[in-house]
Amino acid sequence: MRILLADDDAARAGALTKVLSADPSLTILRPGPGELLADAVAALAPDVVLVDMARPDRDALEGIRIVASNQPRPIVLFVDQDDAVFMEEAIRAGVSSYNVLGVPPPDVKPILRAAAAMFRHHQIARAELRDAERRLHEREIVDRAKAILIKERRMGEPDAYRWLRTRAMSSGRRIPDIAREVVARENVQVLSVNPASAPATTQGSNTQGSNTQGSYTQGSNTMGAEAQNRGAQ
Amino acid sequence: MTVRVRIGMLRLTDSAPVVVARAHGLFRSLDLHPVLSIEPSWANLADKLAYGLLDAAVMLPPLVLASAIGLRGPAVRLIVPMGLSQGGNTIVLGGEAIKESASLPPGARLVAWLAGQNRRPRIAVVHQYSTHNLLLRYWLALTGVDPDRDIETVVVPPEQVVAALANGQIAGFCAGAPWGMAAELAGVGNVLLGTSDIWPFHPEKCLAVRDDWAVANPDALTRLLRALMRAQAICDQPEAADGIVATLADETGLALPREAARAALPGGSSHEQIHFHGAGAAFPALPHAMWFLRQMRRWGWLAEGTIIATTARTVYRPDLFSLAARMEDLFVPPGIARNIPVPTAAWEEPTFASGPSESQ
Repeated sequence: MRILLADDDAARAGALTKVLSADPSLTILRPGPGELLADAVAALAPDVVLVDMARPDRDALEGIRIVASNQPRPIVLFVDQDDAVFMEEAIRAGVSSYNVLGVPPPDVKPILRAAAAMFRHHQIARAELRDAERRLHEREIVDRAKAILIKERRMGEPDAYRWLRTRAMSSGRRIPDIAREVVARENVQVLSVNPASAPATTQGSNTQGSNTQGSYTQGSNTMGAEAQNRGAQ
Repeated sequence: MTVRVRIGMLRLTDSAPVVVARAHGLFRSLDLHPVLSIEPSWANLADKLAYGLLDAAVMLPPLVLASAIGLRGPAVRLIVPMGLSQGGNTIVLGGEAIKESASLPPGARLVAWLAGQNRRPRIAVVHQYSTHNLLLRYWLALTGVDPDRDIETVVVPPEQVVAALANGQIAGFCAGAPWGMAAELAGVGNVLLGTSDIWPFHPEKCLAVRDDWAVANPDALTRLLRALMRAQAICDQPEAADGIVATLADETGLALPREAARAALPGGSSHEQIHFHGAGAAFPALPHAMWFLRQMRRWGWLAEGTIIATTARTVYRPDLFSLAARMEDLFVPPGIARNIPVPTAAWEEPTFASGPSESQ
């Protein structure tokens, strides 16, 4: 069975290719760089297309008709009618599968299952990376806030930390949030030396603060693969 | 009780009613908690609606109908309780020759352009089951061009059509704002006509809702429609356009290019404009659904036995719209459902062997 794997994430595509190649009956194909997905399907004649849902050109697969024996047939989305939960899991993981010319579904499900597992694995890895970056950034903010307190209030480092912690506990918020305020206040004071700049900074923080009446999630989004399924989890 | 509603959309100017409703607090004022999801493809919206990861979405009417009758996977119970916008797409052709025929009418320009092509030209649309594709094919047929024989259609994402035209992967396209103007500015193509020239005030985007969500949350559905109706009224005011552009350009949201988004909004510089509120833009008219379905049948896409009138009535729900519209004091004329203009029946005669004869 010929499988066209349309995934721009090289590491993930490589790992999945390795997993699927363990089955000698499978041939894994990849579209060329910049090649239209429709052209890749026409040129490579796959039986199954596995596609990263973050790709905007996924729409190209819908409605393509493959001409074979005078009977043009459309590429169809692989669907397991009896296992809606599995289909939902694959979508959450961000991978979708299309059948070309009547491949029997029982052969396709294990392949999509492997792909979904690989995508989920990478999703978790990315989430952990993001989390680590956030922690690192927060530590930096806390350090900067401490430095400001040490300089302005002539505190020792342990006292500066205790000051942040007491504020956080009494207001029911996190230490990095208090630290961020200290740093923001410092920036406004510095900028207010130049009166023209100060309102701009204030306005900027207002814009962020007003973003509370509902939330945005980025779907499977090419603008930043890391944004994928941020809201779906 | 505040009800959460997950609404999906693409990065397009005509997603405006949803993002404007959120920015103006219209959902919150009607006790709705919107969770907006920006997706990269129409297929993602259709899949996430199908598997319950979204409750509603800004959709292409033909794609909703195709999903509902199982043309792209399992049949999904979806309803269209309102329209969201009209018009906004342009047909663009590339190459030098098209620039020389500017004085001719669009049909004559197309024919001259086709005669000068040394192979079957590829024209891109945004999705097989899109208003773009159906209106393009309708107009081609009207001009005497067989869309299945004389040209080849491919699907290319709108944000990639200008580059694809520049590097020769396609010879032309039909896409929404701002990509027609972007192609002209880049000097790679010329706008031949807008889709509103083919069908004035044609329905473009609609709200698709999962039927089970609508049944489980009837009051919230009415509130959702009311919030969007209020947003549509705002979106149609030229004096509100700058604020809407700022909302559309918001980095944390759709992040659309400002100038291009402004051009297609009311009072903008584009020839082809998007309408959100007037001329029945919000009314989910059965004749619209039936026109789309008849075109799909014309091109041989519908399974035998698909009953157009029944499908249209199952998916399009003017009754739900009217309920919400009355609460907003919007006047819905009693005869409106019977007097919706669609392109004339005479134009719909199948011109080519590739389209099976219509029976309706």
